[in-house]
Amino acid sequence: MKLLVIEDEVKLAEYIRRGLQEEGYVVDLAHNGIDGLHLAMESDYDLIVLDGMLPGIDGLGLLAALRQSKRTPVVMLTARVKVEDRVRGLQSGADDYLVKPFAFSELAARIQALLRRTKGPSEPEPVRLLQVHDLELDLIGRKATRCGQKLQLTVQEFGLLSLLMRHEGQVLSRTEIAAQVWDMNFDSNTNVIDAAVRRLRSKVDEPFHRPLIHTVRGMGYVLEARDE
Amino acid sequence: MNSRVPKTLGSRLSLWLALQSFFGLLAVCIAIYAATFYAFRSHQLEELAHKKGLLEHFASEALSTGDEKMLGHKLRDFKVGHSEFGLRVLRAEGTVFFEDVVPSATSQRRLIEFELASPVAGHRPFQVTLSQDIRKDQSLLERIAAALVFAALGGTLLVSCGGYLLVWLGLRPLRELSTQVQGLAADSLHRRLDGSNQPGELAPLVAQFNDLLARLDASYEHLEGFNADVAHELMTPLATLTSGAELALSSAKSVEELRDTLGSSLEDLQRITGIVQDMLFLSQADRGAVARRVHTPSLAAVVKQVADYHEAALEDAGLSLVVVGDAVGEFDVSLLQRALSNLIGNASRYASSGSEVRVLINSSSPNEVSIQVENRGSTIEPAALPRLFDRFFRADMARSNANRNHGLGLAIVAAIARMHGGRPIASSSEGVTKVGLVLGSSKTSES
Repeated sequence: MKLLVIEDEVKLAEYIRRGLQEEGYVVDLAHNGIDGLHLAMESDYDLIVLDGMLPGIDGLGLLAALRQSKRTPVVMLTARVKVEDRVRGLQSGADDYLVKPFAFSELAARIQALLRRTKGPSEPEPVRLLQVHDLELDLIGRKATRCGQKLQLTVQEFGLLSLLMRHEGQVLSRTEIAAQVWDMNFDSNTNVIDAAVRRLRSKVDEPFHRPLIHTVRGMGYVLEARDE
Repeated sequence: MNSRVPKTLGSRLSLWLALQSFFGLLAVCIAIYAATFYAFRSHQLEELAHKKGLLEHFASEALSTGDEKMLGHKLRDFKVGHSEFGLRVLRAEGTVFFEDVVPSATSQRRLIEFELASPVAGHRPFQVTLSQDIRKDQSLLERIAAALVFAALGGTLLVSCGGYLLVWLGLRPLRELSTQVQGLAADSLHRRLDGSNQPGELAPLVAQFNDLLARLDASYEHLEGFNADVAHELMTPLATLTSGAELALSSAKSVEELRDTLGSSLEDLQRITGIVQDMLFLSQADRGAVARRVHTPSLAAVVKQVADYHEAALEDAGLSLVVVGDAVGEFDVSLLQRALSNLIGNASRYASSGSEVRVLINSSSPNEVSIQVENRGSTIEPAALPRLFDRFFRADMARSNANRNHGLGLAIVAAIARMHGGRPIASSSEGVTKVGLVLGSSKTSES
């Protein structure tokens, strides 16, 4: 997977590149709109990460020029938080939109989702059963078991657990968890998420020998079987 | 102020007064001159008519004698007493019978022509030209005209000076006011204009200006305080960030320790980010961002969704939550979720353990809906209630959980209320505290 990052803040661009390389992407960088547009037109990228405010050509202008000949998926980054800007960005051909400052994990998740979407209709069969180590989740029957013991989960807890299991080994930020499980799209009350995870742990991890839900300080939560 | 000429109110009024008095006096003088002129003219014509009568009388006397010489004598006698008159008598065939005219320009003479019966029987009548020298009258008129012009100009000057003085005196309150205004500066916004000896016309202006000053003063104070609060609020995470980074670099640390430092830094950064994003949200609301309303069939359902989100946190605090009432309308659901989440978060923080948090939905009037979150706990001081929605205001500095909650939550609730054309509400008595918002339930209720 080859990505292009067009971002004029050198430090931020470098972080994004390193992060994406760690995720296994090949990443090219451009620090201004003119170079960015040139690169985007010359070679075929699977996805472009585009800053909305650029020297040379601004993000929307670049997008308009690119869209005349290419359908490369674009994630816009912007410091603007106005809804109108967001709508304008999406109208002028951006496929997704992220407001600065953002958590890197969120950018990675959006990129992944966008690549999945654009890689055509090869959607995998809906999973019926999720399994991590000795924890099993039956999505159809809405049953959770660990070591063969049935776990008593509320609707919220079931939703949270299935999200963590779907993204096994992937750190999920609190913001992301709030959006995915409860459809709450604002950053606040992170302690609410902490309380929810704490309660889930008391049912999923505490009765058992090996914890599966881990806190990654400053980032969020991850569900994986770690070696003790 | 913006017109080029004349620049000031005083000079404008003075000029108008001067022009008015000049034209007024000019009109009066012209009338006097005209009246004098016509009086002189009619007097001259009367004189001539009188002399004509005299000459006709001579002619009729001479006619009784039938002697032309006699008439000649009479005419010469007439001339002796009337040197300003000129007389010329021609016979019918055009020869001169009598002539005694002071040569002068015709413009300086007024004349009449008439026929005079000849004393000699059978002769056709004489043609008489009688003229009067009017130079005296004319020079008198000229003197009068000069006097009048002088009077008009002098009078104008006098009235203008007087007018200027009066205008200057009349505008004194305005000058005092502008001196007062000049004395105001950004750092003396607490001062007010003194309208005590201002005339009635200026009183509303002074009152409005003072109101404006009061509002400015309040927002200025607010802003100053807000800046201090923001700086203070950002200082804590910045301090821990800095000291954490310094500590991590000061000596060799294990990877685990460094990871921990980085994680702690991230938490601080998220806190700073949260503050900045909330401030951006508030500033946009202040600059008139409005809610994007969609039809919302049930507010209770929106509340329940947010309550589900808080389920675990409420349970941790030993609280139960019930929703009372419902309403339908057009709202911005994601904004409402945010407001409700802040309200429920606050309630669960301050409610006494084991109590019930109630969310009350009321349609008090056709286009207003109120949502209040009620919790049992300590009573908030009445003095603190109105300030509850101020940015960074905390009624309980000691109890605030600064790590999790910076003081913008209720300010955001208030902003979301205003974005819906509504207002925040709060009440607290006997251990029951209700905090919430009134919403305009449709687009039409927005001003």
